[in-house]
Amino acid sequence: MSNTDVVAEVRAGTKRYPGVTALSDVDFAVRRGEVRALLGKNGAGKSTLIKVLSGAEHLDSGEALVRGKPLAGLGTRDVAALGVATVYQELSLVPEMTVAENLFLGAWPRSRGALDLRRMRADAKEAMARIGVDIDVDSPVGALGSAGQQLVEIARAVGQRPTLLILDEPTSSLAAAEVRQVIDVVRTVAEQGVAVIYVSHRMDEIRQVADTATVVRDGRIVETLPVRTASTHEIVAMMLGTAPEAVAARARRPSAEPPVLSARGLVSDRLNGLDIDVRPGEILGIAGVLGSGRTETLRALVGLDRPASGEIRLRGEAVRPGAFAAMLRRGLGMTPENRRREGIVPLMGVDENIVISDLRGVSRSGVLDRRAIRQAARALIDRLAIKTARPGTPIGTLSGGNQQKAVLARWLHAGSDVLLLDEPTRGVDVEAKRQIYDQMRLLADDGRAVVFVSSEVEELADVCDRIVVLRGGRAVAELSGDEIELNRVMALAIAEE
Amino acid sequence: MSTTTPTGPPVAKADARGGRLGRNTQRLNEIGLIGAIVVLFVVLSATAPGFLSVTNQLAILRDAATIGVVAWAMTLVIVAGEIDISIGPAVAFSSVLLAKATGEWHIPFALAVLVCLAVGLLLGAGAGYLRARWGIPSFVATLGLWSALRGLAQYMTDGLPVPLEANGLLDVLAGSILGIPTPAIVMAVLFVVFLFVANRTAYGRSVFAVGGNAEAARLAGINVSRIRVILFATTGLLAAVSGLLLAARLGSGNGGASVGLEFDVIAAVVIGGTSLAGGKGSLLGTLLGVAFITVIGNGLVLLGVNAFFQDVVRGVIIVGAVLINVLLSKRNGARAS
Repeated sequence: MSNTDVVAEVRAGTKRYPGVTALSDVDFAVRRGEVRALLGKNGAGKSTLIKVLSGAEHLDSGEALVRGKPLAGLGTRDVAALGVATVYQELSLVPEMTVAENLFLGAWPRSRGALDLRRMRADAKEAMARIGVDIDVDSPVGALGSAGQQLVEIARAVGQRPTLLILDEPTSSLAAAEVRQVIDVVRTVAEQGVAVIYVSHRMDEIRQVADTATVVRDGRIVETLPVRTASTHEIVAMMLGTAPEAVAARARRPSAEPPVLSARGLVSDRLNGLDIDVRPGEILGIAGVLGSGRTETLRALVGLDRPASGEIRLRGEAVRPGAFAAMLRRGLGMTPENRRREGIVPLMGVDENIVISDLRGVSRSGVLDRRAIRQAARALIDRLAIKTARPGTPIGTLSGGNQQKAVLARWLHAGSDVLLLDEPTRGVDVEAKRQIYDQMRLLADDGRAVVFVSSEVEELADVCDRIVVLRGGRAVAELSGDEIELNRVMALAIAEE
Repeated sequence: MSTTTPTGPPVAKADARGGRLGRNTQRLNEIGLIGAIVVLFVVLSATAPGFLSVTNQLAILRDAATIGVVAWAMTLVIVAGEIDISIGPAVAFSSVLLAKATGEWHIPFALAVLVCLAVGLLLGAGAGYLRARWGIPSFVATLGLWSALRGLAQYMTDGLPVPLEANGLLDVLAGSILGIPTPAIVMAVLFVVFLFVANRTAYGRSVFAVGGNAEAARLAGINVSRIRVILFATTGLLAAVSGLLLAARLGSGNGGASVGLEFDVIAAVVIGGTSLAGGKGSLLGTLLGVAFITVIGNGLVLLGVNAFFQDVVRGVIIVGAVLINVLLSKRNGARAS
């Protein structure tokens, strides 16, 4: 490839923030038609690099160029005009408006002062066709799933005919099956000659989507390598800066104890006669594709949803379905899939976010005891290695992994011994993921029951003692101990009826 | 770039009151309000005849109680992301109820007071129930109360004041204790109670959690519906208290009284830095907001500004104060990120 193919580059780029060097003498280039994965822990410098290339930040020294033009002094609009389009993690769509309206948000085609609806629809159809996606442009965006919304977001960026498309964790809120769609779209876009920078924490999808990967650590580029030849362990080691440990070598220890929580014949919208046993002292994985009823299983078990029929027993006793408060009192705890929407109270401190699950435990005769709050929070912050400046720091300012650990800490504070974790590692960097796995293991060793729902089969296969595979709202298979193999779990989850 | 290397246990100098994003903004806002109130005092003592007199200062305290008594409860309602606009009619209705109960229905005074408080509490709880159980927006639920209670109060009295027979308790409520107007004392006691409830009880912190993220609060085991019912029951109760004080002051139950009071109360809370979006706010801010609004009202009267035009001035000042607050938090937010 010749140098004229280079769409965007950074030469000896350095960027400092107060107290931290975000980029340190970085050289980076992407070419036409290339999909480049950008890998690294949170805080490694990925976001800064992206911001520099999109004109949102400027280098302290060195230079950034797009199509040979230096970005120094240019704003995001100027850089967009040079052909850089960025799709950020947070969606920026108006759910009540149609796909077509969203695609041209703020720049709706007009004729003689009025909206030209016909042209807008035609252009919208063309934009969707360009990325090879079949979505009804007249349906409201809110009616699409997360994947559909993400695709609309990408279509909008591609509609600007960019030369460089930057995708910042486009799949962090998607289930594995939906990721496929996004990957196909990204490949289509790249084939049209667009350079793509793709940030993600998911190794499996990076293998499918990217040609090359650049690993960033502590503001430096560790290496740029072809993804097909590098092993996952190698890459993870580069990201962490440590030698890879053989995670798989750990012995699995399915528990022989009687189930603490069990369900028989649960039926609801998404559940179709589900049986499940949760035992103390082990990590039970729940695998299954999107729509197989993973989240619904947890919600029914913890009493958030009331199944139409079926029986739930806690420590051998039948419980009234749908009695959420009672289930929490009796030792259940759930961390929700959508951390931001259902997990954290962003403006409150980490300490209060933790003790909120049991305020009585930190009260004396009805009055909150500040010292007790501080002690309880600090103990859990240390135990789970939650990185926060102070216990009182608003949790909304923490990274996803640390937020997740705090939400988990909540149930440790409440003393729950049945922990239902819905996608606890989604949108979490590799280091925090590993810490969360370790915590699950410690909790299981401690005699608690841990239920781990994930759409990433790899991590289930790595971490769990037993795995229940769901399909169509039923438990179709159960693997325990050495029966757990990645391919087997995967095959069971996606098998046809 | 938020990640730092883990270096042992977190810094020990922690604020156990729970960090709130924009606490600095809140501080700034409070300092700004204190500054504004000081400036008002200086300007008014120079320009408004009799402003600094003891009589007038006590009158300011008495006026402040009209807003303040309900404003404490309103602060928590707004922190929880809700709103209660039924205050003015609820106050008027409570005063009418007291006059009718003692005068026409011959209920003993002390019992009539309890009835008024109970009715206020139940009406508020009803609005809260509509919000909590059926998801009716609190603006609409309390708009219904706003209209119905005003109508009921006027209907019961044919739009005329209903005189109250004088008695000892009424005199105390209307008068002073140790030289301080009784309503101001009620306001002060309630302030301390609410300060305590907001910061030091599970209920108070749950209100902040519900306002910050109701779904997260629910999943953490907080009974969100219960919190919402209690919130509106509290504003209902305090509106009734306010109505009793009003009746004592006027010596009658008056169905047409307290027009627009709800907006003074909401304005005081918002000027005090409590976010209408929920999740953050402070009672100290509301206290300053109440002082700010009351002093302006008092000054405008003393300066002899036309009564109609007073509303114009107040409107401009209220929006201006909130605008400054918003600009402050924007600047602060930009610096933080």
